[in-house]
Amino acid sequence: MSRLTQSLLLVLLGGAVLRISLLSTTYLNYVKPGFRPFLVAAGLVVFVLGLVGVYQEWRKNSHEDEHEHGHGHGHGPGVAWLLTLPVFAIFLIAPPALGAFAARSEEVPARPPVAALDAYAPLASGQVTAMPLGEFIGRAWGDSGRSLAGRQVRLTGFVVPSKKKDRWYVARIQIACCAADGIPLKVAVLDADAPPENTWVEVTGTWVDPKLEELPKGTVAPELSAGSVTVIPAPVEPYE
Amino acid sequence: MAPVAPWLFAVIVGLLVFGRFVLSPYLTAPALQTWATIFVAICVQALPFLVFGVLLSAAITAFVPPSFWTKALPKRPIMAVPIAGAAGAVLPGCECASVPVASGLMARGVTPAAALAFLLASPAINPVVVVATVVAFPGQPMMAVARFGASLLVAVLAGWLWLRFGRSDWLRIPSRPADAGSKWANFRDAMQHDFLHAGGFLVVGGMTAATMNVIVPRSWLDAVAGVPWLSVLALALLAVILSICSEADAFVAASLTSFSPTARLAFLVVGPMVDLKLIALQTGTFGRRFAVRFVPVTFALAVLVSVAVGGVLL
Repeated sequence: MSRLTQSLLLVLLGGAVLRISLLSTTYLNYVKPGFRPFLVAAGLVVFVLGLVGVYQEWRKNSHEDEHEHGHGHGHGPGVAWLLTLPVFAIFLIAPPALGAFAARSEEVPARPPVAALDAYAPLASGQVTAMPLGEFIGRAWGDSGRSLAGRQVRLTGFVVPSKKKDRWYVARIQIACCAADGIPLKVAVLDADAPPENTWVEVTGTWVDPKLEELPKGTVAPELSAGSVTVIPAPVEPYE
Repeated sequence: MAPVAPWLFAVIVGLLVFGRFVLSPYLTAPALQTWATIFVAICVQALPFLVFGVLLSAAITAFVPPSFWTKALPKRPIMAVPIAGAAGAVLPGCECASVPVASGLMARGVTPAAALAFLLASPAINPVVVVATVVAFPGQPMMAVARFGASLLVAVLAGWLWLRFGRSDWLRIPSRPADAGSKWANFRDAMQHDFLHAGGFLVVGGMTAATMNVIVPRSWLDAVAGVPWLSVLALALLAVILSICSEADAFVAASLTSFSPTARLAFLVVGPMVDLKLIALQTGTFGRRFAVRFVPVTFALAVLVSVAVGGVLL
């Protein structure tokens, strides 16, 4: 790998990173929103490093005859070619946010951490409260005050079909840092027809109280009896 | 002489443009897209840390004279190991940053055992990771304490083991590009070389981790959650497979509620020291002969120390 190729590779990679972080919001499919400045900075460093390299090669070539020293080390590692793979993935596959495929398993994985058990504020009656799926699941399983009972809530997520006939899931992936650590959060929706898989929806409805004191926590999705289902465009920030 | 590579490069750019219009409509299988999302996410997420680590490493090589390290670290290697391990607490980064920094330290004449202790300790005990652990486990401050203690202990033990049994021909101390004249030229050369090298191996690790992520169902893990020893081993292996950045792994560990605290501690101690992308990075940086010895020893130490510390503190 010649020095010029190395530098061009850096320009390509840095450009791809800047494209997904500085010039668009695609980076939100992969990492948390707070990550943007770091990505932009890293992309800039790589991009500029490559540009400087290209400039130096160009200048060197125009003084070819007086330039003799120091090029025994011009060959970079061949493994660096692999750095073109993420660039190919970004441009060709344009990986979307994790969706129904990542949340497909019927079993709901372990419950997300509940910030502080039983610290939930009561919900207003007579009006619809919008809440993240994580909060709904936390209130459904972790709240001895049963604050959800009889209250109208609105949940936002994408549609995951279920093997059971009477239900489908509204789901959202929760990430801590990047999509590799994503955990699917799922709430079973009853009494409504399922929109197509992966459609983003707002579901308004009421919690179905399981009427059981001891449930196998974290292995069953809480249920929501739907009053209305509205199809919405996919949000810019796909993760919770 | 006309190098071939720039032409190859033109082919790549051509493929990108061509593929964007011709291939993209067919690359939509859900499994492929999920794989690609996780693969790109791992690369994108690790990139800033890698750039930071490479910058720091290149700065160490170009601007810090070797005499600094002989003054800063104790003369006797056996003492230098714990000092270097504890010094890991000041580098705020994840494991991707620590590999190039450790190799920069070795290239500057720091005892390999001490640099290795630093390599293992710094991603797990720096302030950012400690704070993340405290936040992820509300009401369980002992988890952060246990993580800090166990990680430092594993790093120091591994350093001493290397000092006692390690052979210098197992370890390839990365060669530096020849002196290019000015300090700034050295800095640029070192940075470009390290970044391309480590970046290539990061891609290998990212691909492996994304593949495992897609094909290994999480339900296999939940099946072993109830068996004490098995659950520790299962979470230790999960940490290796998932290759999550050490600044985020505490949140994942906190969500694995069906596992015992000791098993989750093992997840937090093993993850920053041994995972698929780290194995690829270490193999690339220090050589295969090093990795096949160092990785299993570190893994075993991390599991054993986690069990011991978890038994006492959690």
